[in-house]
Amino acid sequence: MRKFLVCITCLLFLISQVVDAAPRRRKKAVKRMAPLEQVGFQMPSTITDTVKAVPAKGLYMNALDLLQGQSAGVNVSSDGINGNAVLNSVRVRGSSSILGANDPMVIIDGVISDITALSALYPSDIESFTILKNTSETAAYGSDGSAGVIQVKTRMNSGEGFRIAYEGHLAVSAPYGGLQMLSADEYRAVAADRGLYINDGGSSTNYYSALTRPSFVQNHYVALGGGSGPFGYRASVGYAQDNSVLKDKGNDNIVTKLDVNQTLLNDRINLDLGVVGSLSRNYGLNDPKKIFYSAACQNPTYDAEANFRNPNAVLIGAPLAMIAAKNDSRNMNIATHASFSYDILDCLALNAFGSYYFTSYETAFTDGGSASRSESKKDDLLCNVSLQYDKTWGDHNFSSHIRTEYHVERNSGFRTGVRSLANPLFGYDNLGAASSIPLGGTGSNYLEKKLLSFGIELDYLLMGRYKFALNARTDGSSLLGDAHKWGFFPSASFVWNVKKEDFLVDNQTVSSLNFKVGYGRSGNIGAINSYVNGNYAQPVGMVPVYGYPVLALGTTYNPNPDIGWERVSSVNIGAELGMWNSRFLLTIEYYYSRTDNMLYVYDVPVPPFTYDKMLANLGKMSNMGVDLGVAIAPVKTSDIDLVISANVSWQRNRLESLSGTWMGMELDADRISPIASVSGAGQVGGDNNVVYQIVGEPVGVFYLPHCEGLVQNEDGTWRYNIVDLDGDSSVDLGDYGDRQVAGQAIPKFTLGSSISFRWKSLYLIMQINGAFGHKVFNGTALAYSNMTSFPSYNVLRTAPGKNIADQRVSDYWLEKGDYANIEHLTLGYEFLLPKSAVQSLRISFCVKNLAQMTSYSGLTPVINSYVVNSTLGIDDKMCWPLFRTYSLGFSIRF
Amino acid sequence: MKKLIILSALLPCFVSCLYVKVGDSLPHDEIYSTPADVYRNAVAALYNNLGSNQESIGLQGTCRGIYDYNTLTTDEVIVPIRGGDWYDGGYWENLYFHTWESSDRCLYTVWTYLFSNISRCNASLDVLARSSENCGVETTNAWIAEVRALRAIFFWYAMDLFGNIPIVDEHNKWQELQSPRSQTFRFIFNELQYSLEYLPIARSNEEGLHYGKVTAPVVWFVLAKLALNAEIYSDDDCTDGIGQDGSAIMFEVEGSKLNAWETCIFYCDRLADIYGLESMISSNFSTGNEKSLENIFTIPADRESYKVEYHYQFRSIHYSHGAAYGFEAENGPSATRKAMQVFGYGTPSPDPRLWATFSFDEVKVGGEPVLTEDGSPLVYYPMEVAPNLTDSPFKTTAGARFNKYETDIHAYENGKLQDNDIVLFRFADALLMKAEALVRNGQDGTPSMARVRERAGASPRECNLETLLEERMLELALEGWRRQDLIRFGKYHLEYDMRPQLPSETDAHTILFPIPRKCIELNGKLKQNKGYE
Repeated sequence: MRKFLVCITCLLFLISQVVDAAPRRRKKAVKRMAPLEQVGFQMPSTITDTVKAVPAKGLYMNALDLLQGQSAGVNVSSDGINGNAVLNSVRVRGSSSILGANDPMVIIDGVISDITALSALYPSDIESFTILKNTSETAAYGSDGSAGVIQVKTRMNSGEGFRIAYEGHLAVSAPYGGLQMLSADEYRAVAADRGLYINDGGSSTNYYSALTRPSFVQNHYVALGGGSGPFGYRASVGYAQDNSVLKDKGNDNIVTKLDVNQTLLNDRINLDLGVVGSLSRNYGLNDPKKIFYSAACQNPTYDAEANFRNPNAVLIGAPLAMIAAKNDSRNMNIATHASFSYDILDCLALNAFGSYYFTSYETAFTDGGSASRSESKKDDLLCNVSLQYDKTWGDHNFSSHIRTEYHVERNSGFRTGVRSLANPLFGYDNLGAASSIPLGGTGSNYLEKKLLSFGIELDYLLMGRYKFALNARTDGSSLLGDAHKWGFFPSASFVWNVKKEDFLVDNQTVSSLNFKVGYGRSGNIGAINSYVNGNYAQPVGMVPVYGYPVLALGTTYNPNPDIGWERVSSVNIGAELGMWNSRFLLTIEYYYSRTDNMLYVYDVPVPPFTYDKMLANLGKMSNMGVDLGVAIAPVKTSDIDLVISANVSWQRNRLESLSGTWMGMELDADRISPIASVSGAGQVGGDNNVVYQIVGEPVGVFYLPHCEGLVQNEDGTWRYNIVDLDGDSSVDLGDYGDRQVAGQAIPKFTLGSSISFRWKSLYLIMQINGAFGHKVFNGTALAYSNMTSFPSYNVLRTAPGKNIADQRVSDYWLEKGDYANIEHLTLGYEFLLPKSAVQSLRISFCVKNLAQMTSYSGLTPVINSYVVNSTLGIDDKMCWPLFRTYSLGFSIRF
Repeated sequence: MKKLIILSALLPCFVSCLYVKVGDSLPHDEIYSTPADVYRNAVAALYNNLGSNQESIGLQGTCRGIYDYNTLTTDEVIVPIRGGDWYDGGYWENLYFHTWESSDRCLYTVWTYLFSNISRCNASLDVLARSSENCGVETTNAWIAEVRALRAIFFWYAMDLFGNIPIVDEHNKWQELQSPRSQTFRFIFNELQYSLEYLPIARSNEEGLHYGKVTAPVVWFVLAKLALNAEIYSDDDCTDGIGQDGSAIMFEVEGSKLNAWETCIFYCDRLADIYGLESMISSNFSTGNEKSLENIFTIPADRESYKVEYHYQFRSIHYSHGAAYGFEAENGPSATRKAMQVFGYGTPSPDPRLWATFSFDEVKVGGEPVLTEDGSPLVYYPMEVAPNLTDSPFKTTAGARFNKYETDIHAYENGKLQDNDIVLFRFADALLMKAEALVRNGQDGTPSMARVRERAGASPRECNLETLLEERMLELALEGWRRQDLIRFGKYHLEYDMRPQLPSETDAHTILFPIPRKCIELNGKLKQNKGYE
C-alpha cells in the first residue's frame, strides 16, 4: 500500500517519455510538507500501459494545456494569447472563496510556484500531475492549499548511462469564421434604403481579415541525462514560439532545467538539487475589447490602411491603428531547490528542504502618444525541517511526521509612464523623450508576507488495508492582526482497501476496490494583499500648500483590526473500482464544503465608515459536487488498443450569506450586487448589469428583466417587450426593479474525455472537453443588432431584417452556453528500429480546435465562465478570431 | 530525539519572524510628526477631493456627480438621446424628467463621497485636537477652524441635495438618525460663523499662501448662500406646502439680529470690500483664471500636478468640434430651448453673454469653420434640441453646446485635464444674491443687478424676481447653481422647457433627492425622504 489514490497521472503525456524516467527517487523523496506517502489504490497501470505503448502527443504549447479535461473537477482555461476572451485560470472544484485566492497551489518538484510558473514549463518536461482536491488531502499544506493543490513532477534522470532526445513541432494557425457583419456594399444599401447619410470612404473592408493572418507556430526541445551509481543528472532546454493569428502579436518562451542528485552512505543520505528557469515574452493587444468592437463596427467603406476614425462613433477607432499599439510583457521565472534527507535510524529520518522562487514580470506599453513601463517582482523563500518516524509491528504500521516551515514572500513593483512623446517612434524605449512625465505616472510598491507553520501528522495502517490519518497544522501570518494571527487546521481521513479483504483477494473480476472518507479544515487569506489590519498611510493626492502643489498622505481604506482567517471545512466520501484486470475503472467522489468567515470586500455604511468598502470576514458560501471518472479498454491485443476515458463533474455553489457581526456591529451587505455588465455605445452606466451576486443563489447568476418577444413601434422598428414582473404597472430596469434570476454563469457540469486508438504502430487520439448547464449572455448580439446605432456603428447582417431599435438588457439574449469541443485530434506513427542507436522515432500530425458543438448563436460560448469578475458570463464584443492549428511533430530518442 | 529538542527550542525564535514590515505605507502616526506634516496631511489633504478624475466624485468637474444633479435636472441643460448614443440605460433622461430612482448608483456615490469627506474631516479634527502642543495653540485653532469650515461646506452640499441627513461630527460615530433639515441648516451656519473668528481674510483663488483654501471670504459667500436659501433650508417637510418667510428667519450676525435677507446682504457686502468684476466675464474661465479679481473659491487645476479634470465642455461638443482641437469629444449635453430663449437666441438683440456661454450655429475653431465627416461645415441647431433625437435629422447637431471655459489646447486626457481652475464661487453671483435679497426684503436691487449687466454689455433692465431668475441664468449658466435657484423660486417641480410636471410631483418632493436605497439597505435606521418611500 504505497501510493494512495489521488495520483491521477495524466495518461497522455506519460506516454512519450523523452528520456526514460524510472527515477532513482527514494521513498522519502523531496516533498514540501507533503501528506504521508500516499497509500492504497494506484491509478491502474494497465490502461496507462496500454496507452504508453503508443507514444502520442499532440501539440502542447503550454503546460496548462496538458491539464485540460484530464481530471474531474479541475477546470483549466488557458488562453495563451489567442484565447476567446477566456481568462487563464485553473479551478479545482470551483471557487470556495469570492476574492482572488481560488488559484490552486502549484508545487513543482516540491517548490512552491504558481500557475504562471507552471504554464512556463515545457510540456515535455512534465512527468505527471497529482491533483489534491479534498481538504483532508490538502490539509498538510495548510492555508496555501485551500483551493486545491497541483503537484507537478518533472522528469528526472535515469542514472543509467547517457541519453539524448529531440522533439519538435512545426505548425500553422489559421483563422476561420467570424462575426457576420454587414459588408461595405450591404452597409451602403441599408443606409440608402433608410435614407441615412454615410461617409462613404469608397473602399470595401473586412476588418477581421485586415487584422488577422495565418501564423507560424513552432517548438523545439532537447533533453539529455545520465549518470551512474549514486549520481544522476538531467538537463533540458525548450523553446516555443506561438505567433498569433492577429498581426504582429504572439508570444514565445524559452525554458531550461537542470536536476542533479547524489546519494551517500549506502543511500542513507540523499541530496537533490534542481534549477529551472524560463523567459517568456508576449506581444499583446492593448484594449482588446475596443479593438474587436472596432473591427466589427467600424464603417466598412473606409480604407483599413488609412486609419480613419469615425467621429460619430466615439467608442471605437481604426482597428489597424489600435492593434499597432504595443502592449508587451516579459516574464522571467527562476526556481531552485535543494533537499537533504538523512536516515538517522531505520525508523527515523530527518528531512530538510529549501527553495527559492523568483519571478519578474515586466510590461511595456505605447500607443504612440504615451508610453509606460512597469516591473513587478516576487521573491519566495521557503524552508522546512521535518522528522519522520516509521515503525511496523506485525500487522501494525505507524508513522508520524512533525515539521516546521517558514515562508516569506516579498512583492515589489515599479512603474513609470509618460505622455506627449516627442516622436511616436520612440515608443517605450526612451521614456525621457516625452514632454510630460505626469504625476501618477511613477510609483513603486513593496510588501512582505510571512507565514510560519507547525504541523504534525499521524498515520496508522492496520493489516495493510485500513488506514487512519490525522493531521494538525497551525499557521501564523504576518498579514493578520494579533488577535487573529494563528489559524488551526485539522484533518482526518480513513481509507479501506477492500481488495485486500479475504472475500475479494482472490476475486478475478474485481482487480481493485477502495473506499475513503475524509474531513478537513483549511484557511485562506489569499484575499488579503495588504496590511489592512492597521491604519497605514499612503499618498492621497496633490493639494496646494501655500500655493504650491504638494503631495498629501492619509489612509485610503477602512482599517479592519478584526481581520482573520477565512475557513473552509469540507467532507468527502468516495470509492474506486477496477475490474477485469483494470480494463474497466470507475472513480466516484462526493464532497461538500463550507466557507465561513468569508473574506470579501463588503459594502459598509458611510457614515460611520469613511469609505464604502471594507475587507472583512463575514459571509458564508457552500460548494457541493460529485466527481466521476470512467476508463474502459474494450479492445486490447498486441496489434490493437482502444481506450476510452471520461471524467464528469457536477457542482453546486451557493452564496449563503454576506452578513455578520463586525466589532459588535451588525453589518448587512446588499442582498443583490452586480458583478458584470455590458458596455459600449449607449450602454455607458445605466441599467446594464447582467451578472449578479445574490445571497441564496450560486455566485454569478444572471438577474435580468424578462422579455416576451418583440413589439413593433409606430415607425416600424421593433423593441423588446419587457415585462412588468412586480406588477406595479411600470417597468423598472434598475438593480432592484423588474428583474429575475435566469440561470447561472458557471457551468453545472464539465466533461473531459479522450479516445485513444492504436493499430500496430499507428495511433489516433482525440480529446473532447465540454461544459454544460450554464448560460451565456450574448451582449455582442444585443449591441450589434441595435439599429439605432447604425450607421455610426456597423451592425450584424441579420440586424436590418430584424429591425430592432432597442438595446435594453433583458433575457432575450440570454442563451444556453452548453458546448463540447474537440480540442485536438492527433494521428501518429512510431517507427520500430530495432538494433539501431535510435531508440525511438516517431512522427505525428495534430489539429487543435478541430470542432465545436453548441447551440449558442454567437461566435463561441467559450468565454470566461469560471473567474468571478467583471467579464463573467458575458460575451460582450470581445470576439477574438477563432483559429485552428495544424501541426507536424517529430521526435527522436537515442 | 535530541535533534527534536533542539528543534523545539528554536521554534520561539521563528515566531518573531512574523513581525510586520511594510515598505510602501507608513504607520498612521508617522505622518503627523512635524507641524508642517500636520498641516499637510490633516488639513491640506482634505482638499484633494474637491475636484477629481473619477465619475461622481468631486464638487464639480466630472460626470454623474453633484454638478450633473444640479444642472441636468433643470431648464438649463438637457442630454438628448442621440440614437445609439446617450441612452445609457435611461440615466440622462431620468435626470431631465425627474424620474430618478433611489437605486441610482451614482447618487449613492455622491452620498458616500460627501460623507466620506465629512468623515475624513472628523478624523483630522481628532489629530488636530492632539496637536496643539506640537504646533502651538493659535495655529492649531486656525487649522481646526479651517477643517470645520470645510466640513460645513460638505454638509451644506449634502443637506442641499438630500435634505434630511445625519449630523456626524465625530470620527467613527455610529450616528444612525437623520436630523431635521432646519437643524442641520443651523448647525452648518453656526459652524461657519464659528470658523470666521480664526480664518484669514484673504483671497483663495490666487496662487499664493491661501490658494485653493477655505478663507473668510469663501465662508462669507457660503453664509450668504445659506441665508438666501433659508426659507428652503428651514423647512423640515417640503411636501406640506407650509414654510417660514425669510423675513421671519433670524440670525445673529456680529452682535445684531438680522433676518435671512439682511444676513445675505451683510455677507455679500463683506465680499464687495475685496472682490470686483473682471471687465470680461470670460476672464474668469480662462487658463489663467488664478488672476481673476472676481473668483472667490476655485478648484486649483493644472495639467501636470493636480488630477482635477473638467469634463463638461468636451462631453458637450460635437465629435468634429473636439477633433478640431485634436481631442476626442462626446457630443452630448446641450442648452435647452428654454435657455436659448432666455438668452434671446434668434432675436435681434440676444444677450451678449450668449457667445461667452454657448457654441451655436456655424462652429469655428481658430477662425476656420469646423467640418463634419461629410465635409460640410458643422452647424449646431439650438432650437432643434429635444429629449429624444433618434429620429431627428439633427440627431448629432441639435442643441447649443458648452462654451464657458477657454479651451486649453495643451490639455491632456482629451481636453479634460486642463489648466483652467474650476470656478465654484464668484463675485458676480454675490451681486445677484444681494439684488435678490434686497428685492425679497422689499428694497431695490437694481444697482447691484445693473453692475452685472453693465459688465456684460447688456442693456439695463428692471430688477424683480422674474428678471432676477433670468439674470441668474444669463450670468451663471453652466456653473451648477440652477437647481438651487429654481427651488428657491418655487419652480423646480413645475413644468418647464419640454418637461411636463410628473403626476406625483405636485407635492414638490422632487426638490430633494431620495436617500440612496443602498444607504438604507446598509443602515436600516435611515428614513427615506417623503414622496420616495
